[in-house]
Amino acid sequence: MTATLFDGIVQGLQLSLLAVGITLIFGLGGVLNLAHGQFAVIGGVAAKLLLNWGVHPVLAGIGGIIAAGLFGLLVDRSLLVPAYRYRGEERLLLGLILTLGLSFVIDGYLNYALPEFSLMLSLPIPAVQVATIPMRTAGLATSLIAMMVFLALFLFLRRTLLGKTIRSIIENEIGAELCGIDPSRTRTIIVGLAAMMAGLAGIAQGLFSSLGTEMGPEFTILGLLVAVVGGVRSINGTLVAGVFLGIINAFASRYVGAYVAFIILLSVAMVTILLRPTGLLARFT
Amino acid sequence: MSSRPIFSRYADLVLLAILLALVPAIAADSPYYLRIATLAVVYMGWTVAFNLIFGHTKQLFLCLGALAGSAAYVTAVLSQQLQLSPWITIPIGVSAAAGLGVLFSYVAVLRGLGVIFLGIVTLAFSLIFQNLVLGLRQFTNGETGLVTRTQDLTLLDHPVASYYLFIVLLALALFVYCSVMASRMGIAFRALSDDEQTAELSGIDVTTCKIIAAALGSTVIGLFGALYGFYNGIISPNLFSFVSIDIPVLISLLLGGMRTRLGPIIGAALFAVIEEFVRPFGELNVLVYGVLLIVLFVAFREGLVVMLRKALGLSIP
Amino acid sequence: MVVRVEDIHVSYGPAVVLRGVSLEARVGEAVAVIGPNGAGKTTLLRTMIGMTRPTRGCILYDGKVRNGLRAFETARLGIIYVPAEKELFPGMTVLENLELGSYCNVEDAPGRLGYVFDLFPRLGERRQQLAGTLSGGEQQMVAIGRALMGGPKVLLLDEPSTGLAPKMVAELYQQLAKLKSTGLTLIVAEQQVPLVLSLTDRAYVLEQGAIRLSGKSADIQGNPEIKVAYLG
Repeated sequence: MTATLFDGIVQGLQLSLLAVGITLIFGLGGVLNLAHGQFAVIGGVAAKLLLNWGVHPVLAGIGGIIAAGLFGLLVDRSLLVPAYRYRGEERLLLGLILTLGLSFVIDGYLNYALPEFSLMLSLPIPAVQVATIPMRTAGLATSLIAMMVFLALFLFLRRTLLGKTIRSIIENEIGAELCGIDPSRTRTIIVGLAAMMAGLAGIAQGLFSSLGTEMGPEFTILGLLVAVVGGVRSINGTLVAGVFLGIINAFASRYVGAYVAFIILLSVAMVTILLRPTGLLARFT
Repeated sequence: MSSRPIFSRYADLVLLAILLALVPAIAADSPYYLRIATLAVVYMGWTVAFNLIFGHTKQLFLCLGALAGSAAYVTAVLSQQLQLSPWITIPIGVSAAAGLGVLFSYVAVLRGLGVIFLGIVTLAFSLIFQNLVLGLRQFTNGETGLVTRTQDLTLLDHPVASYYLFIVLLALALFVYCSVMASRMGIAFRALSDDEQTAELSGIDVTTCKIIAAALGSTVIGLFGALYGFYNGIISPNLFSFVSIDIPVLISLLLGGMRTRLGPIIGAALFAVIEEFVRPFGELNVLVYGVLLIVLFVAFREGLVVMLRKALGLSIP
Repeated sequence: MVVRVEDIHVSYGPAVVLRGVSLEARVGEAVAVIGPNGAGKTTLLRTMIGMTRPTRGCILYDGKVRNGLRAFETARLGIIYVPAEKELFPGMTVLENLELGSYCNVEDAPGRLGYVFDLFPRLGERRQQLAGTLSGGEQQMVAIGRALMGGPKVLLLDEPSTGLAPKMVAELYQQLAKLKSTGLTLIVAEQQVPLVLSLTDRAYVLEQGAIRLSGKSADIQGNPEIKVAYLG
């Protein structure tokens, strides 16, 4: 039971990492990034390439994350420019289609160029005992890293000026502009950050099972569901939603078949969205 | 509305009917091309429906494949399991699709879900559908596919007859579309797509418009889906996936032009041609679709029909 | 800083909202913009700071034509707008809201913060409270306070008395008078005509998108037509 719970939390944290990027990009840019899963894959692919070139695994991981981040910056400054010319629903729709197209371009290319790609990392110690519960170090490691990332994110957003600026844009873009804040410059930084977190999630996938180039859409869907369930404007909500859905998925997978588990997950997500469209932790509509 | 005689108002459709009717004569020798043409007509039907649902009433249904597939699978499974005639099971299957469409539309309006939320919920449903079909192997035969050849619908065994059957269905779909657009609901749709809030304030019942659009669109999708299932001889979840149906329909509608009468037709026809050119690329066809989506939505937002209108100065409906 | 607009035309689609409006606010002046609902007061103010784009006309700051600047750019120049909707950050505290006001002008931000708390003591008491939980009057104070944190040279206020109890409105206008005495240029769009005319030096009467009357506030106050239309 606890093993399943632990599994759920590990998966959940990974989902939250993906989802928080989507939340940030939506909160700051008003665009729902349907290519987010592909950012994760790019992170993993870059890491693997670096590994193949003999780079030390930790550095390769960092390199992968940076590569994903740079890619995100590039996308924000090029592909999404037409979307940013509009506001509100128009921008949302255009951004949706553009990122959808981008996801196909990336998927199509990666699946064609690297058909047999697989990123599988392993840690020197496969499992440890924590309070008499055997846990995979991979899971433990990725959870710890994810938690540190979230902690850093929280502190960044609460304590630093840039962080508060970001929160202000998410809360009210017009209000932020009236304070002299340029939303588009801040947005680019955040897209880069979000892409980096996606890259980390992709590499984490390689750590506790394996990452394939075809996993992009799956990551995107899961990230999207968690982001929406948690409330597309709430970062705390994303963390809670991710762990919540992760645990549900873990238990469902354990006790029911894989297909049914996914259906349960999707249904729970759907019901939550319908019951609380503004998100799990929404305070102000 | 217009005082022009009916014939000139719908002259474009008559022309279209003639063109489409001639296709088998040209493609008679090649069953391959006839099949491509037939599939194109099926997709035209779906695109006309999507035009109603998304083009006119802005309901982002990302579950077209699931709706078509629901109709197809309900029909096929009932036919097989309960030995019922297609004449009974097809209406049931179509009702299933229509019911789902209305459900999504109604819930979205009830909960005030915006475009994205409806999109995500329907996308989730798309996935639920896929997993349901795969999970309920005992009924659906999972990934291997369910054979739909049946004694009663031998019509669909003849390629040319099948083609004309789908032409008739397309005519039906266009008839529904034109009737709606020519009615008061059509005016409401136009106001809705312009500015929903203003439309609401002008007394237009946005809820009813959306639900009716969803109902009609889903019914057409289901109808084409169920019969497509029989035509294909075998159905599998892949046939009705997001990439197989939703993406081509979306591209077709954008290509041809949202909220126009001929847009879906021209768009779907063009997409069929593009698909043929892209086929040799194999895996890279997905990449081409991605590039198409991007380029279309950035540069050619309004679609071919509107572009041709401006270029040729004709009022193409 | 002198803010001036000349012959401004603004349309929302086919609807013409402002036709040929010209307005000027000189250094240290307080200028009122009055008129009925829908006259275009908000549109005028938004155009002056770049939130709305005019189809025709010039926007000048200190005599230089500066059409096409965006709202955040005009804010950085010291022209700060407090909209009727306030546009606060509801999930952030009063203090955070105020701090963000000084984003483009960090020099002496602590000093300005102290000044804002002097002006609106209630904000000082509630500094850790989330802005979204404040009353209408308190939110108005935060909105003005946030604008002041930017060290503005020109302050544009859109219907600051909306939704406030009469006692609060009187208090607010007392504080605005204090601000005026510090040499800050004020442009105030208002429904509460007598108060804003007492506060300001000059006034413009906007009706159906055009300036119907303009002149010294005292004169406008004494004008018999205005008396009937706006002062009951």
